[in-house]
Amino acid sequence: MNKKLHALLLISVFVVATCGLIYELIAGTLASYLLGDSVTQFSTIIGAYLFSMGIGSWISKYFEKNIISWFIQLEILVGLVGGTSSTILFLVFESVASFRIILYSLVGITGVLVGLEIPLLMRILRDRYEFKDLVSKIFTFDYIGALLASIVFPLLLIPYLGLVKTSYMVGILNVGVALIVCISFKKEIKAAVYLQTSAILSMMALLVGFVYAGVITNFSESLTYADTIIYSKSTPYQRIILTKKGKVLRLFLNGNLQFSSDDEYRYHEALVHPGLQALPNAHNVLVMGGGDGLAVREILKYPNIQSVTLVDLDKGMTGLFKSNRMLLNLNKSSLLSPKVKVINADAFSWLRQDKKKFDFMVIDFPDPSNYSVGKLYTNSFYKLAKTALASGGIMVIQATSPYVAPKSFWTVDTTLRSVGFHTIPYHNNVPSFGEWGYIMATESLVYKKPTTFLPGMRFITKESLDLMFYFPKDMAKVKTEVNKLNNQVLVKYFEDEWSSVL
Amino acid sequence: MNGHPFYKGANLLSGSNRRSFLLKAGIITTGIMLNGCLRKLKPNTPYKNITGTIKGPNAKAGHILRDKLSLPVSTGTRQVKTLIIGSGISGLSAARYLKMQGHLDFELLELEDHVGGNAHSGKNNVSAYPLGAHYITIANNEDTLLTDFLQHCGVITGFENNLPVYNEYYLCFDPEERLLINGQWQEGLVPEFGLNSTDKFEVKKFFTLIEQFKMAKGNDGKYAFDIPIDNSSADDSFRALDRISFKTYLNQQKLTSKYLLWYVNYCCKDDYGQKIDKISAWAGLHYFASRRGKAANADANAVLTWPEGNGWLTKKLEADVSGHVLKKIMCYSISYNQQGKVVAGIYNITSGTTSTIVADNVIMATPQFINQRLLKEGVTRIMDYSSFNYSPWFIANITVNHLPQAKGMGLCWDNVAYDTPSVGYVNAGQQTINMVDEKRVLTWYLPLCDHEPRVARLAAYTRTYEQWMDIMIPELEYMHPGITEAIEHVECWIWGHGMIYPAVNYIWGPNRDAAKQPVNNTLFFAHTDLSGISIFEEAFHQGIRAAKQVLAIYGK
Repeated sequence: MNKKLHALLLISVFVVATCGLIYELIAGTLASYLLGDSVTQFSTIIGAYLFSMGIGSWISKYFEKNIISWFIQLEILVGLVGGTSSTILFLVFESVASFRIILYSLVGITGVLVGLEIPLLMRILRDRYEFKDLVSKIFTFDYIGALLASIVFPLLLIPYLGLVKTSYMVGILNVGVALIVCISFKKEIKAAVYLQTSAILSMMALLVGFVYAGVITNFSESLTYADTIIYSKSTPYQRIILTKKGKVLRLFLNGNLQFSSDDEYRYHEALVHPGLQALPNAHNVLVMGGGDGLAVREILKYPNIQSVTLVDLDKGMTGLFKSNRMLLNLNKSSLLSPKVKVINADAFSWLRQDKKKFDFMVIDFPDPSNYSVGKLYTNSFYKLAKTALASGGIMVIQATSPYVAPKSFWTVDTTLRSVGFHTIPYHNNVPSFGEWGYIMATESLVYKKPTTFLPGMRFITKESLDLMFYFPKDMAKVKTEVNKLNNQVLVKYFEDEWSSVL
Repeated sequence: MNGHPFYKGANLLSGSNRRSFLLKAGIITTGIMLNGCLRKLKPNTPYKNITGTIKGPNAKAGHILRDKLSLPVSTGTRQVKTLIIGSGISGLSAARYLKMQGHLDFELLELEDHVGGNAHSGKNNVSAYPLGAHYITIANNEDTLLTDFLQHCGVITGFENNLPVYNEYYLCFDPEERLLINGQWQEGLVPEFGLNSTDKFEVKKFFTLIEQFKMAKGNDGKYAFDIPIDNSSADDSFRALDRISFKTYLNQQKLTSKYLLWYVNYCCKDDYGQKIDKISAWAGLHYFASRRGKAANADANAVLTWPEGNGWLTKKLEADVSGHVLKKIMCYSISYNQQGKVVAGIYNITSGTTSTIVADNVIMATPQFINQRLLKEGVTRIMDYSSFNYSPWFIANITVNHLPQAKGMGLCWDNVAYDTPSVGYVNAGQQTINMVDEKRVLTWYLPLCDHEPRVARLAAYTRTYEQWMDIMIPELEYMHPGITEAIEHVECWIWGHGMIYPAVNYIWGPNRDAAKQPVNNTLFFAHTDLSGISIFEEAFHQGIRAAKQVLAIYGK
């Protein structure tokens, strides 16, 4: 055995150590991204990882012969498992309820495999060094590798490659070690061709993963969000992004914030309760938009509600809020309730065909920032909505900010009035959005202000409702045109008013 | 007054004109064929991702007429009181009016397998789309025949303060128009972006002029420009404008801004399929000054449109006369028998048999270039067929799976690029209420006006599908860089005789009036080429005018 091979094995120690630590850091980071509460997640992940490494070291004594080929196979396996781990975790996060089990299993497997590496390497090298030299050399390289990993990971890998690509890259390094060892010790190992082939195939698989990692997480996108992106998906209609910072979840559709889990209750309580609390005999409710199920969560608090029909365009959206554990906690599994019927359809066409009547209707569409969505705020749409509203019923519409976009807000009001609705505009403060506006529309002047609310409300009370109905001077009603399919004035107002803010 | 001797020629196919036509046609078609051969030599075509075909009006039937092929012997004869030939808007409107007045013994013959003529439409799994006429403007309020029809088919839903309320699903959805000019899409088609103050001033001056013409009335108290065209004032101070070209007129008014001239040219191409040098000034101004419609719920000049364009209106007209329409039945001759009745030779395209219809009277809802071949000896009209000029058109319905983003205004209904040969494209899916996914059908309109119509027509029939792509794709790429990749399918449609165009001295010259005259009070004529401008409203009134002439015979 020549000097070259010694150096090679020591470099392997260095690479293996670096990779091992990076897997640990990836698992910890992913866990705190996806599950939040980084102190707990990091501690438990590191604990589990180190413990698994211990198991690996213990198992190493059962490997008797062909240590080099075992080592090579081990490296390939570490590369494959570690390299694909973050992809697997990102993919299952969307739909698997027992996400933690998969997370800890992967951490466990990687830990065991990494734990096997150093003992096996020591045994390969044991005849080539004196024991004291061996220990000294191995641990020196091991700890230098650890230092390198801990510096490179936060400063270079995460900012420039992102989690998924980092995993694949580290996996490729592991398999690279396997391949080099395989070539160098060709004469000493059996089945060298088989090992070499599997190493090359694995390397190729990981390279493919590396190249296509962008499909899983659009890395450039993560730069535009302040918080960590934990989920992103492009549906035929929109790009859904879920971010997390600490315990706060935020949902973005096409880059626009839809809710922030720390204050969404202010929005949804204000959207639902002023209307629904005033309808003690309401049975059937229609929600249009609102695929997050948060408005439905509020609606289901009323025992008199028998059915809720949710019409949301995007199956990707309602599917996500029907399956992900974190989001189910947030919407209290509202979309899974037997009372709730989810229909993935275009609201305008659906309303044109449906002949049912509803006692309470929630119109919770995205802001009218383009001509497509703008159609859902026109007199033609409200005329249809009127035919779906049962007599004595109430319809409530999210109507953008009366503070930032007063013309837009009051256009919704004017448009509703133009088709014969009576309107009751109101507003409240939602810190993530600012001052936000809603409009209740009724066919006759039936609205009776509720004086009590269901227990458990965090925002709305009789007193806060009085404040909500009052419009200070800076949000007072302005004269606007009616928004129609053939003029789309709302989109133009909205663009003007928000462009001066953003 | 004599700048256009070509159009005054009594017989275009005589003497030097004939030679020059043959020479031009020869050079151009040879060029196209050579180009086609060269194209075949190139190993890889750049449009591999694009499928599609070229279609057009029933060419086989046309050839039977033109080439006077021998047809089988007539197998039978039947009688009908009134026969209508042609189910374009004029024919449908005539039929509808007869039925409305209780005159029920009539048949409407159509050689195609569908009604509608130039308002034809198509459909694929993305959208319905127009293959010709694709919009109308809101009606002039005094045109009660038209507003009654629009109310009847649900386009007008009621009246408020005496103004019609239009169905808002049919009023063109906003945003309506955009223009790619000086590197950016601007809203609206009148050039604005990047114009200097002189240009802007001229544009303003032009529209001030138009506003005056809009309200101008002649010494007979009639509007100078009206729809139907025959309601316009006879005052010669206005009609004199028909004797000069629009180009000459603009020159006289010292309107020379290239942006303004582009815009006016665009409008003439859009409505008449020709440029300002070919169009009479009266007709050019009529486009801008004849529409005074007011609505309770839309701006003046608001546009009504449907995914299938005016195909939607033809369906409504057809429904009103169902049971009277016979499709794939071609009339190939019209003559008189000894009793003075009209004899129509009929060819059944499906069965390949001929028969004879003997009618008391016939409404020829066919263009004059067809009548020229249908009307046989014994039918005398004192008129010059060669004064009728038709613009050829190329229309492409382009299915794209997305539209590359561009700077400025987003997708509108009508999308035009400054200074390009086409008149742009319309978004067939404009009137959808759904959140649109990325797939769309764009209807691209190209008037073939760079050569005289006969040459352009021949050239159009000669071009292959790839050669049409070579014409269309570079312009689309200019509008939307990268769009070629997004194109899935292109359905091409060629209208050899797309529409009449109002050449100098045509509208108020002698031939149009002569062609309108009935023959023996048994043959009547209804077509937009008898108006001189090819719009739905004219066709609608042409049909009613002829129907009224028929009804008069019966004292109705």
